[in-house]
Amino acid sequence: MAPTSRRDLGSLARAKPVAGGVLTVRGLVKDYGAVHAVRGIDLELTRGEILGFLGPNGAGKSTTIRCILDLLRPTSGRIEVFGMDPRHDGVAIRSRLSYVPGELRLPNRVTCGQVVSSISRLRGGFDSRRRDELAERLKLDLGRDTRQLSTGNRRKLALLLAFLWPVELLVLDEPTSGLDPLMQHEFVGLVREARAAGATVFLSSHVLSEVQRTADRVVVLRSGRVVAQGTVDELRRRARQRVEVWFEGPLPPRLGEVPGLVDLAVEDHRFTASLAGPIRPLLAFLAQQPVTGLLVEEPDLEEAFLDLYEEKP
Amino acid sequence: MSGLTAELVLGPARSIRRATIIWTVALAVLVAATVSVWPAFKSGSGVSRAIDQLPQGVVQAFGLEGFGTPAGFLRGNLYAFFVPLLLVGMAIYFAGSLTAGEEDAGRLELVLTQPVARRAVFAGRAAAALIGLVVVAVVTALVQYGSDAQVNLSIGTARLGATLALTGLLALFHGCLALAVAGLRSRPSLVLGSGFFVAIAGMVVALLFPLSAALKPLAGISPWNWAFGGGPLVNATAPWRYLALGAPAVAMALFGVWAFGRRDIRAA
Repeated sequence: MAPTSRRDLGSLARAKPVAGGVLTVRGLVKDYGAVHAVRGIDLELTRGEILGFLGPNGAGKSTTIRCILDLLRPTSGRIEVFGMDPRHDGVAIRSRLSYVPGELRLPNRVTCGQVVSSISRLRGGFDSRRRDELAERLKLDLGRDTRQLSTGNRRKLALLLAFLWPVELLVLDEPTSGLDPLMQHEFVGLVREARAAGATVFLSSHVLSEVQRTADRVVVLRSGRVVAQGTVDELRRRARQRVEVWFEGPLPPRLGEVPGLVDLAVEDHRFTASLAGPIRPLLAFLAQQPVTGLLVEEPDLEEAFLDLYEEKP
Repeated sequence: MSGLTAELVLGPARSIRRATIIWTVALAVLVAATVSVWPAFKSGSGVSRAIDQLPQGVVQAFGLEGFGTPAGFLRGNLYAFFVPLLLVGMAIYFAGSLTAGEEDAGRLELVLTQPVARRAVFAGRAAAALIGLVVVAVVTALVQYGSDAQVNLSIGTARLGATLALTGLLALFHGCLALAVAGLRSRPSLVLGSGFFVAIAGMVVALLFPLSAALKPLAGISPWNWAFGGGPLVNATAPWRYLALGAPAVAMALFGVWAFGRRDIRAA
């Protein structure tokens, strides 16, 4: 164990368990002059949950995270982390969370190991075996000068710093950006281990497969507003399904009137379309027709989110 | 000093270590080289005679009065412009680069997302800039005293001490101005620009306004006048001169710390 200077954050975190809500955001608005970055976000994060926070560039994800961390001051709205206000109780809140920034900027002329030591003097002691284990898993050379680090290696150092201390909440902003698939896989393992140890995870990501594999629930932002939230399956079900139907003879004349069918394409005795909404009306219609084949493809998460990202306001 | 406080102060101080060494060596060389000329200058009075033939306004503007005396020699060569200007520039640079510069580069974010108070981070950086300034000022003073003794340049210890202290306070004043601006805004160009503008404007006011009867009363608005208006190498320095520089400096530094706690932190 490295020397502990003023407090053991692990014990601090364990000393103040939060029964229910870890993070509550109500009506969060953040304006930069005439630019409305966040326009009234509500979200909740309960203990032990992994929340995927998704949205296209400029949707307001990082702004929201920076408000949670008290780097930005909201224009209006309320944020509570562990039941405390980040503005007034920032130190207590940050002692119980770790953060991976979207882009980690490091001091020059120091090694990765020196960065870890420097942060440990601000956070308290750390388990040196855990540090070495993380460095090994992330394939990070702690002796390297920060000026020589690639984007991927800077990201690895950010992850090492985030997972080194046993915290209650992990706030991760695009944590795997710049990492190769092997490291992305390692990251998923680290997140799952942290959750198994009782941590709550707030995961902002562009990598949908990563969210699909890890998140219990997803919040989707677009233009500073929450446009969808629910479980991954719920959101997938909201997306358009691809439908393909074969008929014995000519296509029935009122096929185009079935609710929810869009983008119809006809070829001989077969038609393809996208189905937005419930499938029941289509099935009811087809039950009365001479159907010889039916294929309904479940949309994948990517399609579901592309729909949400591109939806017109 | 706790580990946390040490990291908040000594961490930034380490990052300006190289710059501190360079400034220290530069000023030490300037002082030592200038003073080493004194014996030759004293024995040959050609320069003094040439200065005597210059218009009185020019002599006064460039701090060349009594250039043939030890006090005049030091004032004209070092303490009218060069040493104060270099120290002021260094103080503005240290204060601005450790606060607004680091914030602009996105390097403050890693520290500010740790369990430390935002104002403590800023105050630690202000303290680190002060350490850099004190190191350079103290080494300059030691080199000045040592060089003077080597060549028998006889200036009263108290007079020289007052001049050096006022020079350090003038630099502190401008460094703290940079801190105040950095507390309000994260733009390094604004922080450095405002600091250097006030420094240059103050120097111009202090040196040139006394040459005009109409502008002379306004010379007192310049911090340079507060520092050197009483001729500290020749005359005893009134205590208010230290206070006039030190009190606003402390107030501006505290304002910077306070303001930094109230605003948004700039993203990388």
